[in-house]
Amino acid sequence: MGDTNGALIELIGLEKTYRVGTEIVRALRGVTVSIHENEYVAIMGPSGSGKSTLMNIVGCLDIPTGGTFNLRGKDVSKLSQSRLARIRGRQIGFVFQSFELLPRTTALKNVQLPLLYAQVSHQRKRALAALERVSLSDRAKHRPNQLSGGQKQRVAIARALAQEPDIILADEPTGNLDSETGEEIMTIFDSLHADGQTIIIVTHEESIAARCRRVIRLKDGLIESDERRGDSLPQAEVSRAVSLAAS
Amino acid sequence: MMLRPIRWLLRLFPWMISVILRNGQNVITAFVQIWANKGRSILTTLGIIIAVTSIIAVVSFVQGFGNFITDMVRGYGTQFMVVRPYTPPERYRAGLGRVTLDLSDIEAVRVECDALSRLTPFVYTGEAEVVYGSEKAEGVPMRGVTEDYQTIRNFYVDAGRFFGPVDVETAAHVVVLGRTLLKSLQCDESIIGEYVYIGGARFRVIGLLQRKGSFGPEDQDETIMVPYTTAIKLYPDLRKSIPFLVEADGEGNIDKAYGQITRVLRRRHSLQAGQPDDFRIDRQDQMVRQFERVKTVASSILAGIVSISLVVGGVGIMNIMLVSVTERTREIGLRKSVGGRRRDILLQFLTEAVVLCTIGGLIGVGFGFAISYLASLHPNMVELDTPWWSVALALAFSAGAGVIFGIIPAFKAAVIHPIDAMRHE
Ligand SMILES: Nc1ncnc2c1ncn2[C@@H]1O[C@H](COP(=O)(O)OP(=O)(O)OP(=O)(O)O)[C@@H](O)[C@H]1O
Ligand SMILES: [Mg+2]
Repeated sequence: MGDTNGALIELIGLEKTYRVGTEIVRALRGVTVSIHENEYVAIMGPSGSGKSTLMNIVGCLDIPTGGTFNLRGKDVSKLSQSRLARIRGRQIGFVFQSFELLPRTTALKNVQLPLLYAQVSHQRKRALAALERVSLSDRAKHRPNQLSGGQKQRVAIARALAQEPDIILADEPTGNLDSETGEEIMTIFDSLHADGQTIIIVTHEESIAARCRRVIRLKDGLIESDERRGDSLPQAEVSRAVSLAAS
Repeated sequence: MMLRPIRWLLRLFPWMISVILRNGQNVITAFVQIWANKGRSILTTLGIIIAVTSIIAVVSFVQGFGNFITDMVRGYGTQFMVVRPYTPPERYRAGLGRVTLDLSDIEAVRVECDALSRLTPFVYTGEAEVVYGSEKAEGVPMRGVTEDYQTIRNFYVDAGRFFGPVDVETAAHVVVLGRTLLKSLQCDESIIGEYVYIGGARFRVIGLLQRKGSFGPEDQDETIMVPYTTAIKLYPDLRKSIPFLVEADGEGNIDKAYGQITRVLRRRHSLQAGQPDDFRIDRQDQMVRQFERVKTVASSILAGIVSISLVVGGVGIMNIMLVSVTERTREIGLRKSVGGRRRDILLQFLTEAVVLCTIGGLIGVGFGFAISYLASLHPNMVELDTPWWSVALALAFSAGAGVIFGIIPAFKAAVIHPIDAMRHE
């Protein structure tokens, strides 16, 4: 698995430059960071600092214009469109600020969508299991216009979970919700993390970032700070500490 | 020519269907989309609906009339020919005398041409006047023939008798009436044995012809038949120009009979080697072949018209699909972000176009049948025939239009960049 330190995501000098007419926008100017399995990361920073750009690249929706992005040790920038689509479908789970559920389509069918493209078996069963994890089994037959904002976002989380992805990427998942509902959503993310899920959340709210184990702050396309919360080590390090103590 | 793309589309159709069915989810999505925009979908498919309606209706008419004519031609037998005087176009006419065809020509043909089994002169006027008691029928078609006419044209009496050789020999004043005459003369079958006046002369009614029905606008039962000798006496002006009908002695003798008649008539009319015939021989077997050719041409023209209207319908579909792709940019982005590949998106929108067009096609088939049915209610209409292949062709055409005109919008959808799509308002 490559030369890496076992990181799930490894970014080295990552750059993204947009060209709008004659103007050049450098959204990312050399981001270097590694994220391991079962990390719970918040990405913060002022508007326009490049958070969404970074998420899109990590989610294989976009490709960097410079630097390297290794996903599980594999350089993603060299992959074809359809390989990228495959990665998006099987390894990445997206949660968007504005939910992005298909209208006129039941919650269950929405959750099934990634399974459909991946052509896996037991789609219905898996989709129901994903809805179960966000406590929405009883809304499986409901359409988005019959759901509250918080319920919609839970369906979106279930959709991200359906394929049991390596990483969940959430770009301001509570941005469209009131603080109470946002709290509800964060409780779900917390419990997913407790189950071992790797999660990266973009947020503007310190209270949300405070729940994460690591906070990366961006500014003008560069990492300004990257702090881990000592009080709770990532699971891997805990087990390493345990094994060290045992020896 | 025209048929090649049709055949190609027909072969494409099962393939499309199989691809679509293997991706059933796309069909469901397509129906959900179409149902969500019911009004717009109907308006969009209007062009296809009209195109398919016209395919079904026009094919039904062409087939119906075709069957009618084919049946009729078959009824005559293919050994039958019509010989008539013919004036060639002016520039070929130099040196020709008056164009005539008289009884001596016909007699010569009868004697000299051994490839013929039957022959009858055909003295015709469309202006006979028939009087029975106080009733009067004007402008009645009258045929002066021999008893052979019955066999050649397959037109027999079913009451009384036809006239025989003796009646012809003696120019007897006997007449056979078509069924319509009974109505115009306000009488029934008891008229057999009674007398009528034709052109002022007294005729005995000896038989009634079987009912034949109409051929297009022509009522075949509105006719009277008399011995040709009698007809010539009644209308002496016709004696210089008498067509005649012959029947070859078997299918294999048609060409031989044709050659014999041509030779006899050219000799009798003293035509030189370079001169054109001053008569025409219409061969039934060639008429059948010619008719088949006309049918092919008619189908080709039909296919042309239909493809034009389908293009119009298809452009409508393309237009609305392009709008739909723009409206659903975010959906496309989402689908891509959860693992949809370009080909998945392409197939989804292609399926939608094909489903839309096929629905239009099905509605059109329904309308086509409805129009054919309504038309068949008219009493003078031939029996319309909608063959299964016209339905299959119409549906294949519309599904094909879906593929052709759906491909551009589908491609546009497939290449949308997921990020741009997710930013789309
Ligand atoms: N498609 C694009 N074309 C041109 N410039 C772009 C494009 N996408 C992003 N940018 C620019 O890149 C920079 C970073 O944008 P990005 O969306 O990543 O910011 P962000 O940190 O997510 O901001 P916010 O908190 O407002 O969501 C901005 O200056 C933005 O204008
Ligand atoms: Mg953003």
